[in-house]
Amino acid sequence: MAAASPSVFLLMVNGQVESAQFPEHDDLYCKYCFVYGQDWAPTAGLEEGISQITSKSLDARRALVWNFPIDVTFKSTNPYGWPQIVLSVYGPDVFGNDVVRGYGAVHVPFSPGRHKRTVPMFVPESTSKLQKFTSWFMGRRPEYTDPKVVAQGEGREVTRVRSQGFVTLLFNVVTKDMKKLGYDTGPPDTQGVSGPSPPQGLPT
Amino acid sequence: MNSNRRRRFHLWAMAEVHVIGQIMGATGFSESSLFCKWGVHTGAAWKLLSGVREGQTQVDTPQIGDMAYWSHPIDLHFATKGLQGWPRLHLQVWSQDSFGRCQLEGYGFCHVPSSPGTHQLDCPTWRPLGSWREQLARAFVGGGPQLLHGDAIYSGADRYRLHTAAGGTVHLELGLLLRHFDRYGVEC
Repeated sequence: MAAASPSVFLLMVNGQVESAQFPEHDDLYCKYCFVYGQDWAPTAGLEEGISQITSKSLDARRALVWNFPIDVTFKSTNPYGWPQIVLSVYGPDVFGNDVVRGYGAVHVPFSPGRHKRTVPMFVPESTSKLQKFTSWFMGRRPEYTDPKVVAQGEGREVTRVRSQGFVTLLFNVVTKDMKKLGYDTGPPDTQGVSGPSPPQGLPT
Repeated sequence: MNSNRRRRFHLWAMAEVHVIGQIMGATGFSESSLFCKWGVHTGAAWKLLSGVREGQTQVDTPQIGDMAYWSHPIDLHFATKGLQGWPRLHLQVWSQDSFGRCQLEGYGFCHVPSSPGTHQLDCPTWRPLGSWREQLARAFVGGGPQLLHGDAIYSGADRYRLHTAAGGTVHLELGLLLRHFDRYGVEC
């Protein structure tokens, strides 16, 4: 009975935080973490990480490259609460303080195969011009106390944000036992590229 | 634990649909600080097991390009006894100015895709035009006519009364996961 029908399926994700496009900022590092529902649990790999600090290349591309590995496996009984990867990008401001340059989140793709995702990054905006100046001067910009709120839909009605960059991620996804449990995830789209394409003029 | 077992026994008879994705953003609107109110409407045979049926995104002011990005996550788990009333996502795009006033920029709806996998959706929007007086007032002072009842957004019943103009486009990426549909001989 136990061998015949599994009750748990596995999701294995590996890949990298490849690169970023932030026209106005330089010397950035990135933190990632996974947010998932109650029915999910990580079984192997790392749930979070901090990348190196990267500067824009000196050639014409002005590319910001991290090439930072991601490798995690989840198990679950229910696709509700499918894992999302939450990214936070930080960099120094004019005075040398570490300030947030963008938050973003995207669901891990669920069809097996190779996927490229471009995630738009946004920062919370100050409520008034005075607060904007004070936060610029003191180096304490508005930021989220817990970056995981970026992965939730509730409570966003009152926030004002500014989108100012993109991060490109590459995923390889493998699932186990989803078909046996009756789930149909659709055709595996190999080399699937999705997400917004950055406006012209920025390196892809 | 007991209620889980009871719920699973009940689910044995039903097919399940998971809608997992994001409302990515919008392009083509004349204003730049935009937010979106969204909701999902289903027929009587559908039951929402987990997830929030409606919500509102953050207000985004884009610094690069003209696309406003919301990246608002959608994660819905439905159980269904029939195909009628397939879920429809309805949207209202509003703009917010520096004084905090909100103005309607467009209504739109799109059906949740019916084939499993990840889909890129572009949902066109429209806004009601009023009389020439109302249009003039909207150009100078803002405001403008709005629908009294939200169901005209996703239903065709009373649309013939409206005269509308096009708004911008809302971009969504929705992934669909189906369960047990093959048991009932449904092809999608």
